[in-house]
Amino acid sequence: MTDAMTLHASSTAEMIVCDAVDKWYGDFQALKGVSATIAEREVVVVLGPSGSGKSTWIRCINRLEAHQGGRIVVDGVELTNDTRNIEKIRSEVGMVFQQFNLFPHLTVLDNITLAPRWVRKVPKADAEAKAMELLETVGIPEQAEKFPGQLSGGQQQRVAIARALAMEPRVMLFDEPTSALDPEMIKEVLDVMKGLARSGMTMIVVTHEMGFAREVADRIIFMESGEIVEVGTPEHFFTNPTEDRTKLFLSQIL
Amino acid sequence: MSGMITVEEAEEVVALPPEQPSLPPGEWIRKNLFSSIGNGVLTVLFALLLVFAFRGLVNFAFENPERDWDAVRANLRLYMTFAYPLDQYVRVWVSLGIVLSLSGLSAGLWSPDGYVSARRISTWFLGGGAVLLAAALAVQGQLQRDENGEFLIDEDLELIRGSWASGLGSRISWFALAAILIGAGAAIWFGLGDRRRNTFVRTVNLTYAGFGVIVGSLWVVRYGHYNGSPAEGTHYADPDSLVAMSTRLPWTVMWVLLGVSYFVGKAVRGWPLLKPLALTFWGLLPFFVFWVVLRDPDIDWAHVWTTDLPMYLAFAVIGGAVLFTLTNPSLGEIGRALAFVLLLVAVFTFVGGFFGWFSMLQKARLSFVFLAAFALVANNFAGEFAKRRTFVIGWLLTLGVMHYFVTLINSASTLNIRSDSFLGGFMFTIFAAVFGLMFSFPLGVLLALARTSSLPIFRLLATTFIEVVRGIPFITVLFFFSIMLPLFLPEGMEVAEHGAVIVGLVLFSSAYLAENVRGGLQSVRRGQYEAADATGLTTAQRTGLIVLPQALRVSIPPLVGQTISSYKETSLFAIVGIFDFLRIANNVVPNQSSPINFVGHKREGLLFVSLIYWIGSYAMSKYSQKLEKKLGVGSR
Amino acid sequence: MGEQRVTSTSTLASTQATKPPWYRDTTIVKWFAQVAALVLVVGALAFLAIVGGDNLEAKDIATDFDFLNINQGFDISEGIDSDPDTGGRALWVGIVNTLRLAVAGMFVATILGVLIGVARLSQNWMVNKAASAYIETLRNIPVIVQIFIYAAVLGGLGRLTADSDFLWGLGYISAKGVSLPRVFVADGFYQWAVFLVIGSVVGFFVHRNRVRLQESTGRITYPNLWALGVLTAFAIVGWFAHPMWGFLSGVFGSIGDAWDSIPQILMQLLLSALVVFSAASWIRRFLDSKRTPAGLAKLTDDDIFRIIFAGVGGVIGLLFLMVLWPGLSSWIVNSGSDFWHFLADKFGDGRSGQPVDAMMPTIEGEGTLLKYGPQGLTMTVGFAAMFLGVTLYTAAFIAEIVRGGILAVPKGQSEAASAIGLNRAQSLRQVILPQAFRVSLPPLGNQYLNLTKNTSLGIAVGYADVVSIGNTLLNQSGKALSVIALWMLFYLACSLSISVVVNWFNVRMKIVER
Ligand SMILES: Nc1ncnc2c1ncn2[C@@H]1O[C@H](COP(=O)(O)OP(=O)(O)OP(=O)(O)O)[C@@H](O)[C@H]1O
Ligand SMILES: [Mg+2]
Repeated sequence: MTDAMTLHASSTAEMIVCDAVDKWYGDFQALKGVSATIAEREVVVVLGPSGSGKSTWIRCINRLEAHQGGRIVVDGVELTNDTRNIEKIRSEVGMVFQQFNLFPHLTVLDNITLAPRWVRKVPKADAEAKAMELLETVGIPEQAEKFPGQLSGGQQQRVAIARALAMEPRVMLFDEPTSALDPEMIKEVLDVMKGLARSGMTMIVVTHEMGFAREVADRIIFMESGEIVEVGTPEHFFTNPTEDRTKLFLSQIL
Repeated sequence: MSGMITVEEAEEVVALPPEQPSLPPGEWIRKNLFSSIGNGVLTVLFALLLVFAFRGLVNFAFENPERDWDAVRANLRLYMTFAYPLDQYVRVWVSLGIVLSLSGLSAGLWSPDGYVSARRISTWFLGGGAVLLAAALAVQGQLQRDENGEFLIDEDLELIRGSWASGLGSRISWFALAAILIGAGAAIWFGLGDRRRNTFVRTVNLTYAGFGVIVGSLWVVRYGHYNGSPAEGTHYADPDSLVAMSTRLPWTVMWVLLGVSYFVGKAVRGWPLLKPLALTFWGLLPFFVFWVVLRDPDIDWAHVWTTDLPMYLAFAVIGGAVLFTLTNPSLGEIGRALAFVLLLVAVFTFVGGFFGWFSMLQKARLSFVFLAAFALVANNFAGEFAKRRTFVIGWLLTLGVMHYFVTLINSASTLNIRSDSFLGGFMFTIFAAVFGLMFSFPLGVLLALARTSSLPIFRLLATTFIEVVRGIPFITVLFFFSIMLPLFLPEGMEVAEHGAVIVGLVLFSSAYLAENVRGGLQSVRRGQYEAADATGLTTAQRTGLIVLPQALRVSIPPLVGQTISSYKETSLFAIVGIFDFLRIANNVVPNQSSPINFVGHKREGLLFVSLIYWIGSYAMSKYSQKLEKKLGVGSR
Repeated sequence: MGEQRVTSTSTLASTQATKPPWYRDTTIVKWFAQVAALVLVVGALAFLAIVGGDNLEAKDIATDFDFLNINQGFDISEGIDSDPDTGGRALWVGIVNTLRLAVAGMFVATILGVLIGVARLSQNWMVNKAASAYIETLRNIPVIVQIFIYAAVLGGLGRLTADSDFLWGLGYISAKGVSLPRVFVADGFYQWAVFLVIGSVVGFFVHRNRVRLQESTGRITYPNLWALGVLTAFAIVGWFAHPMWGFLSGVFGSIGDAWDSIPQILMQLLLSALVVFSAASWIRRFLDSKRTPAGLAKLTDDDIFRIIFAGVGGVIGLLFLMVLWPGLSSWIVNSGSDFWHFLADKFGDGRSGQPVDAMMPTIEGEGTLLKYGPQGLTMTVGFAAMFLGVTLYTAAFIAEIVRGGILAVPKGQSEAASAIGLNRAQSLRQVILPQAFRVSLPPLGNQYLNLTKNTSLGIAVGYADVVSIGNTLLNQSGKALSVIALWMLFYLACSLSISVVVNWFNVRMKIVER
């Protein structure tokens, strides 16, 4: 992988710290005191049944949702109402969505260069060079001039990853990046993600791909009804989970 | 005539898929007209209905002792440009020339690739000819006159008519034209044989050829010659001659200009920056034509050298320096604070002026407002030197254009009539529609954004405005603005009635536009907002770069629909006393007694006005349907 | 990567969440911007009001509604009153004329529009083309131009003479318009109306009962016929028995007197209490809704702003009632008592005549100056031109909406209908149109709104609608602002009623769908 991705490889400081994070939607509490610390270069896979608050949690980490209780600190910057902090975190945390959410009216290249040019103020030529490099990395340099609607789902998701990487984030969040894909396209996206993990990117991945979790994750976090139920390494998690709820969940999906 | 041109050109393009062959006539009739007994009865009934309606219309329009189409023909100039001074008339032609040149240039630059098949062209000719033929045959017997030219009446006081055949003689020219059209249509149909379905002509060329035929006919056909100014007693009416040279020649020049500019546009197609430049010119065109060409401002040069230019330079230099500083990427919050201070200054210039703390030229106030606006968006353009330079150049140009126009607007007109009474006729209708659209569009977008915003007070303000405006009729808005606006303006600020009604139109249509844009905004999915947020775009960037481009694309067809409505809506100006197109037809011409007596001739004018309105809005609605298909909005 | 790290809050424990400075706090900035916008808008409006007030004063124009109570001394060419006593009465005549035009227009435009819309989809080429010629011609010409044309054509009708009669002498027709027999409300109408109301209520229950009976027994019980019969019976009995309600006059009179004796301050206090109560209860309900498991501590800054705004709104309402416009309360008191006294009068003595009466049209004047007398129901050429104009124009739009609605019904529906043996007309009537109606309803409501707004063009052809009469009042009294305010109020009320009705239908249809 490129140098840019390994820039911050030196320290093993805490990258994301969540402390007793609460989140309500009206009367419904979607997160109940979620606490977790994620180190730099660590890859964490989040598992849990539907509606358990996985998406809500990682969306709180880049402030797509505002949490109401507890604290979240990303790379030493606390998420508060402070616009400056929000800006900083938004440009340091990349996010990949289940539905890709590419901008349909822009070409692939424009999709990728948009944020660097308008947020990081990178000159156009540099941004495009960088974008081509990223497209190379995700394996579709020849699609640069096409519009998202002309690409397959797997290609679109890889563009979305490139778009997030173009901001040179220190953390990448993935919310079920392969759920909307046909089976034959899942692999190409997972391969890109594995490469990214190897390059030392800090990643939180919500996914139902157990193979990926087993192979790449440093740790697995299991959530249910807005709480973190169990945390452990993949071997611990898949071979002898301690919690009953985890066992039940695993028995249902494996 | 034009048939020959089209056939030759048609040979160029054969790559399009051929049109579907049509059913043989017998089968077609059976399938579409007489598929069952009930259907046959319906067909006959409706055919009769159509025939009677058509006959009624033709006879209403042409076969009536009261009809005198000279009421329209002799007053064409009045209809188009109202009382624009004759000795300055060349300005009107120059304006039209500018518009047509820019149209030709743009057509060349964008080269729209619409094609029409030879078969369609042929059916148009055949259909047009058939309608004309039918109209000629719908003639009634000629009214009988006595030797003094008075109409004869029978004992029941009814007018006496001759036989149907006696009327046909008066329609020779119609038959001739119908024959030409049908002949041309048949020539294409049979001349091309089976190739008619896969021979195509560019719509652009076809339109140009059609325009050419009309212009050419001015040199050949005796439309009649009406000229001179009634005031000077030089009126001249000769219904059997060619149109005046002062009409014929300019139109020919227009036709040539259009063609030349099209080829120029085509030749320079690949050049960079031309398209945005053309769009900018389109944006500035109405102002330029209106305030510079038509109004011919009498510029006070002494004032320009002593006040206007120094003021421009001051704002350009100081403002440029400020903006260059503001685009420094490492400025952070200080930049925002500075922009905010500038905004306060801009507001203060108005407030201070109102309370009489100081006096200030309107232009200076506007400059502060522009500077504040630029400052507020400056951080979006922060970056390397070249980017900052472009931003500052943009500022210099915008400021220059603004100062230029304000100077012109403030200076007196050389036209030797009251400042705005040259405004009227169809020209004013067009100006009102264009200015209305230009100003109501941004306002409508802002209102739509406010109405869909997450901030409750913005939502409340926008919703109240939109719903109130949509709940009341346009005519009350017009009354309000033409009566009340002058009362609500501070001392020293005046607005002509023409301006007042345009303000009314802008506010009125902005509410409707806002609803259309809101529809588009709602079609942008949440994920787009989230993705924009997640990549770190600011709210303004998200709106301008992601949301609006998608929303507006969806709202184009309804926006065109709204444009049609505004265009039709301008006809209400007639009620509040503006001498627009309709008022001329309904109130002016029917009261004309000299040089020719047209008293009471209202229906000709009204039919003519309907036709012009119809052409405009029908063309736009067809265009919007085409766009809808192209954008696939309906199918989404 | 030990497990213990997960709950580690070592870094957080040592630090405190920093509060951002106010200018970087999203919530504060957000509300600041909104309040600024509000101040700007209110400021601009106040500015205009001050300037306008000064200018009006300089021109010696007062802005009040006195002209409504003064005899303006002008005649109205048509309507329920041709020689109104006061400006207010004149405006009321205009309102009735507008509504008459709007309602008749909606009715006819709907029928015509549906017919043309269906014709537009016909397989028959001739029918199809005739419909589309109609639509494409009429909707692309401004309605005002069409109205002018109809007026010009109708102006060509014959002059009014003694033998301009038609319909076997029932009416007259000429360039001055049509005059028909007039049916009008007479003395006993209000008493009779009481019978009608009771009849409707009883009819409603009878209808419900018959429906139940039909459902439980399966017999056909003609519920509609029964309901109609009941209503008719009441109407007939009421026609003769209505003077029996005369005693109500006294009741209404004493209610009116009681209402009269309410002191203004009491009404003011009552209204204030209402304002305070609604603000307070809104806040309370809001706080209740926030009573989440975490308690009130979870109120966000947004919520606090909302509560503040509700409070400020309440205070402004109080200020308005007590200081700015105390007249509002006395106005409410007065109009309340006026209403009851009006009823008392209508039920009072000497009101025992026939409920409704009719008169034949007449012609007045001599020689060439003939005109219609006030006895007949006269519809001027202006009305006819307006009616044709707005109706035919709107019908074109309705036709397009109906067509769109029918096309929106999936093709499978008509196939299914013919599969169960319905013929084309039946399937259109029973299957397609009901579904198309649901799709077309919201745009149809818009067209009704447009039609109503287009009736305001009466002024162009001299039809005495609310705008035209308002304009006359405006020119006579110079009180432009008052008249324009009344126009806006009237049309907003119309728009609101139409959207309420359309929404009601919409909701009903949606429930049916489920
Ligand atoms: N905007 C919202 N308003 C109200 N409730 C919401 C909202 N978003 C999420 N929720 C609720 O919060 C809970 C957690 O949702 P979340 O999307 O985080 O689940 P998830 O673990 O990502 O599930 P899945 O695997 O299906 O994506 C769910 O019960 C959901 O209904
Ligand atoms: Mg999820």
